[in-house]
Amino acid sequence: MTPTLWSAIRSEWIKFRSVRSTLTGLLTFVVLTIGISAVVCIAVKSHWNDPGSRFDHLVFDPTSVSMTGIFLAQFAVGTIGILAITSEYGTGSMRTTLSAIPRRLRVVLAKMVVLATAIIVLGEVVVFAAFTIGQSIFKGTVPTASLSTGDVARAVIMAGVYLTLITLFAFGIGLILRTTAASIIVFTALLLIVPVIVNFLPSALQNDISKFLPSQLGSSMWAATQPTQTFAWGTSTSILALYVVAIVGVGSFLLQRRDA
Amino acid sequence: MLKLDHLSKQYKDTLAVDDLDFEVKSGVVTGFLGPNGSGKSTTMRIIMGLDRPTKGRATINGKSYHDLAAPLREVGALLDAKAVNPSRSARNHLRALAASNKIPYSRVDEVLDFVGLTSVAGKKVGGFSLGMSQRLGIAGALLGDPGVLLFDEPVNGLDPEGIRWIRDFFRTLAKEGRTVFVSSHLMSEMAVSADEIIVIGRGHFITSGTVDQLTATASGTVLVRTSNPGALTQVLPATAQSEALNDGALRVTGLTAEDIGNIAFAAGIAIHELTPQRASLEEVFMDLTASSLQYGHQSPGVPS
Repeated sequence: MTPTLWSAIRSEWIKFRSVRSTLTGLLTFVVLTIGISAVVCIAVKSHWNDPGSRFDHLVFDPTSVSMTGIFLAQFAVGTIGILAITSEYGTGSMRTTLSAIPRRLRVVLAKMVVLATAIIVLGEVVVFAAFTIGQSIFKGTVPTASLSTGDVARAVIMAGVYLTLITLFAFGIGLILRTTAASIIVFTALLLIVPVIVNFLPSALQNDISKFLPSQLGSSMWAATQPTQTFAWGTSTSILALYVVAIVGVGSFLLQRRDA
Repeated sequence: MLKLDHLSKQYKDTLAVDDLDFEVKSGVVTGFLGPNGSGKSTTMRIIMGLDRPTKGRATINGKSYHDLAAPLREVGALLDAKAVNPSRSARNHLRALAASNKIPYSRVDEVLDFVGLTSVAGKKVGGFSLGMSQRLGIAGALLGDPGVLLFDEPVNGLDPEGIRWIRDFFRTLAKEGRTVFVSSHLMSEMAVSADEIIVIGRGHFITSGTVDQLTATASGTVLVRTSNPGALTQVLPATAQSEALNDGALRVTGLTAEDIGNIAFAAGIAIHELTPQRASLEEVFMDLTASSLQYGHQSPGVPS
């Protein structure tokens, strides 16, 4: 009858599925990923035979282009990850949570298990859907990719893994900062604004730094052909996972020490 | 059983809790009384393992909160009724709590029924009135059928009927042999709902005892009417203080009615009235905490 990690996971799962923001977040995620990807595929197809597009054809990766929606979808899942912890601080319910589960690391672990499970399951379904829809749009005019090619299948699977890791990354930021607004700003800055700043650095420096940015790590994970200035997909995955461990580690350390 | 062991909590430059050291007995309702800002809530948060004490510790059944395997089955607390995610339903809120401590879901419906929220169990908590939120908080505290219960300012926001209900409820819990620890800044409330009272001010212990003991120990005054007040004040010992009232009576502090009668008799002064005036609980409280008010009031009136 002693409560275990599993009891905490069940508790967090009830909390996760019983608020509206989770549902709207997940719905936004599905619509953005599939919708934006399809729109981009239609645009690519309609301009495929434009004069002067020959260079585009050389670097064209039908796999990653069919999943372009990830660029926006990562903010939807990031927000879900952030809210999983900051909404508890915002409403004061963190005190109730920690009264029920005084072992604070168990709370962190349970929340991460719930988030990761939800996003990996839904994420894989969504990226496979986006990929399949994209290829059927390309068919006939634009070269297509097939899941029977090892690198293509890997890229699609890793797209779901990327989204899951980025959700946990965002969760870690929320764990440290505790407020929704600040966490979303920092998360967005790391994903969108830091790459822009790096862009202005001298190119030698730029190449060294940019491949460590979460967005670049992601693009090497979910592309079938490795983009320039990135690590191999396996290395990128490991680095991103390390970021998650580090940031959640810092957040957990602070949670242990701070008054709730 | 709840025990505080030389508990202190220091924030940057304020000592919120100052060496509190007492035991809260089971089977009675214990009031935790102090003005606003005197450290009651901080003490309760420390007991619940939410805040970390600077010194000392609080134990429940001999253990720190962190070491309780299934805390909700040993301690139930209502600290802040509004500390619930407003977009979650009452039932889901309680189910999440139940799951975390391996409490069966059937118990959720039981406690909802007990506090009278069954009909709104599926509604979002955000739409609840403060009174309803309080009742949801009580449901949450009772979920694990715990032996120790903590309530922080539970009557705030309740209507008179709710206040009466909660007083009876505390008595019932205590009669069942549980430890019931209730904080309040209202002496009048504690006078009717608590058996034992612990008074604190600015984080430190002031006094404790039953309601009767507290009023008895406070310095009472005696009202004296005599034909010759001037002569009587002359013969009273220096330790006693006397104050002439408008109607010619004297209010004497520091002596019993007996003492005053004897002194007057010995001096040959006729006494017309000799009435011991018992301090009200409210006066005792004001007296005890007067020096420890964190945020004192000016006398009423608009500053000119």
